[in-house]
Order: sequence, then structure tokens, then C-alpha cells
Amino acid sequence: MTVNVVRQPALERLLAYVLHSGTWLATGIIALGLALPLFGLRGVGLAMTGEEIVTAGIAFFILLPVLRVMLMLVMFVREGDYRFGAVATLVLAIIVLGAALGVRTAGVLPG
Amino acid sequence: MNFGFGAWLFAISMGASALGGALGMASGIFIVPILIMFGGVGIHVAVAASLVSVIACSCASSAPFLRNGLTNIRVAIVLETATTLGALTGVLLAGVLPVSLLFLLFAVVLLLSAQQMMARRSEPEAALDEAGAKSWATALRLHSSYPDRMLGREVPYLVRRVPLGLTLMYGAGLISALLGIGSGVLKIPAMDTALRLPIKVSSATSNFMIGVTAAASAAAYFARGDIDPTIAGPVALGSVVGAVLGARMLMVMSGEKLRIVFVVVLVALAAQMLLSAFGVHLGGHAS
Repeated sequence: MTVNVVRQPALERLLAYVLHSGTWLATGIIALGLALPLFGLRGVGLAMTGEEIVTAGIAFFILLPVLRVMLMLVMFVREGDYRFGAVATLVLAIIVLGAALGVRTAGVLPG
Repeated sequence: MNFGFGAWLFAISMGASALGGALGMASGIFIVPILIMFGGVGIHVAVAASLVSVIACSCASSAPFLRNGLTNIRVAIVLETATTLGALTGVLLAGVLPVSLLFLLFAVVLLLSAQQMMARRSEPEAALDEAGAKSWATALRLHSSYPDRMLGREVPYLVRRVPLGLTLMYGAGLISALLGIGSGVLKIPAMDTALRLPIKVSSATSNFMIGVTAAASAAAYFARGDIDPTIAGPVALGSVVGAVLGARMLMVMSGEKLRIVFVVVLVALAAQMLLSAFGVHLGGHAS
């Protein structure tokens, strides 16, 4: 076989760790927010209601894959792989563009 | 927040995700039609809630694949440029396309999934000898290897036809954002027939990518205020619990029987979606 085979086990393990712990953190936040009303509690500390805590957990879930693209970007650039750094930057740019378009079209969609 | 409705959302998401996980399918394909038909939730809210659960399932199940060295992260990030762009297009189209067309599209995707479930996925023919030195995959250094437990060694593989893969992935991202699903229906053919990835690598990589694809559309829906936490919260929570249970169930249940149950459910949901597309509602309180 003449082609170079590329493996990046260190990065793979790091991503596994971040995604695994992030999933449980986000799940925990959502569970906390949903559980509060069951105990007749309006919220915790600084007047955050159960619903607001759930929203924070959802936001965290949405940010988790974005975070892993950022990690990949940092690792690629550190290894001097600028071409893949650019690819990761493009993916991030598309996601940010989507969120920006979402803000601009807020309230347009029915239901 | 209505506790009864929240508990119902949690339960159906857990069930859908457990069953889906046992057969390697994303749960969105079941959650969206159930939310619409039995929960009386509007299609746009159902899609947005389902996307959050798609992200949750992808993140929850990615870690073991990564640790076992099955995920090709370089292929993933390259294809993600196409899936996120497709997702962006989907978000823009979602506001413009008539709801009946979305129902129709969903019915088609359900039927295609049923057909895919019936057909066996065969290992694509590896062609190690004909590595195109000028191909995109070679230029981007996408070729890799994965550890095979049965053989007890690293199995090298080549990646083929990246431009075709990118095109199909754009479509997969678009469908994912429009319908709130992981869109395995388009990803599997793209991975198997265009890129010719080994099945294990293909499943792991597709699962890894779904999170970013859904995050692109979910971020847009979130910014637009389309994500209802009272619905998306219980659905996401139920999906994560279901995904964990599904992985356990995989060990004890017969895949063959489960497959047939699935095909029946998919066809039934497709029929219901078709009826909705043409404005006929049986039971429930679809709107």
C-alpha cells in the first residue's frame, strides 16, 4: 500500500472525553430544570426558573458539537495542518452565519 | 409546565430513542411524527425539539466509537462543510415551504427508511490497489485505518469519490434541518456507495457528524426563538436515557424481529403523514 494512512488517537480521545462529559452535564442541567417544579420550587438562587434552566441546558447541548469543532480547529492548527484548520473554520463560520440569520428572522415563522 | 404532558414527552422519546438506538437509527424519524399526530404539536416546533434530541443522541453515542478508533474525524470535518451548508438552506426553506409539502417529504423519507431497513447493508468493496494519486481524498489525506477485533489488526481503507459524497451530504443536511431528523437515509448511501467506507467506520463517522449538522440548524432555530423548552427539554432528556437503554437492549433482543416491527411502524407513520399532507386527519389532534 503506497498511500499514507492518517490516525489521530490523541485528538480522538480528547473529543470522546469532551462529548461524554458534556452530554452528562447538559442532561443534568435539563433534568434539574424539569425536576424543580415537581418539588414545588420556583427556581434556584438568582431567580432562574425551571424553564430557564431547561433552556440553558438546551443551549449547552447545541454548543457542545460547536465546541468540538473548535477543539479540532485548535488541534489541527497546532499540528501545522492549516488546510484542515481552514476547513474547521469554514464549518464554524457556517454555524455562526446560521445563528445570525436566525436572529434576523426571529418571529417570522408561524407555529 | 404541564407535568403530565412533560412525562408523556419523556416516555415517548425514551421509547423511540431506545428502539432507534437498538437498530442504529436516529430517533427523530419517530419523534417528529408522534409529536405532530399525538401531541398536537406544530411541525416547526416538533422539528426544532427533535433536532435538540438528535444532537443529544449523537453526543452521547460518539464517545465509544471515538475511543475505539472507528470514527474518521478528517472525513467528518470535510463533509460537515456540506452538511452544515445544507442545514442552513433547510432552515431558510422551512419558513417558506408549505406545511403539506413537508408532510409529503417526511412520508417519502419514512418509506425510504423502511426500504433501507429491509435491504441488507453489504460491506463496500475495498479497492486498495487503485488509489487515485490525484483524488481529493489523497490530497486531503483522508485515507485511514480502523482496528478490527475479529482480525486482531488494523485494517487500512481508502476513501473514494469525495465530491459525490459532499453533494449527497449537502442534501442530507438540508433534509435534516427541514424535518428534524438525523437523515441516515441519505448519509448511509453517501458513506457506503460514494466514499466506500467500511460499515463500522461509516456508522461511527455518520453518527459523529449528525451532532454538528443538527447543531447548525438548531442554533438557527434557537436564535429565532423556535425551540420550546417545555417540549424540547423532556424530549432531549428522554432521548439520552433511551439511547443508553437502547445500547443495552441491542445485546438481548433479536435484531431480525425488531427490524420487522420497525418496518411496520415506519410504513404506518408514512401513511399517516401522507394523509396529513392531503389534509385528512384520523384521530389525534394534528393541526
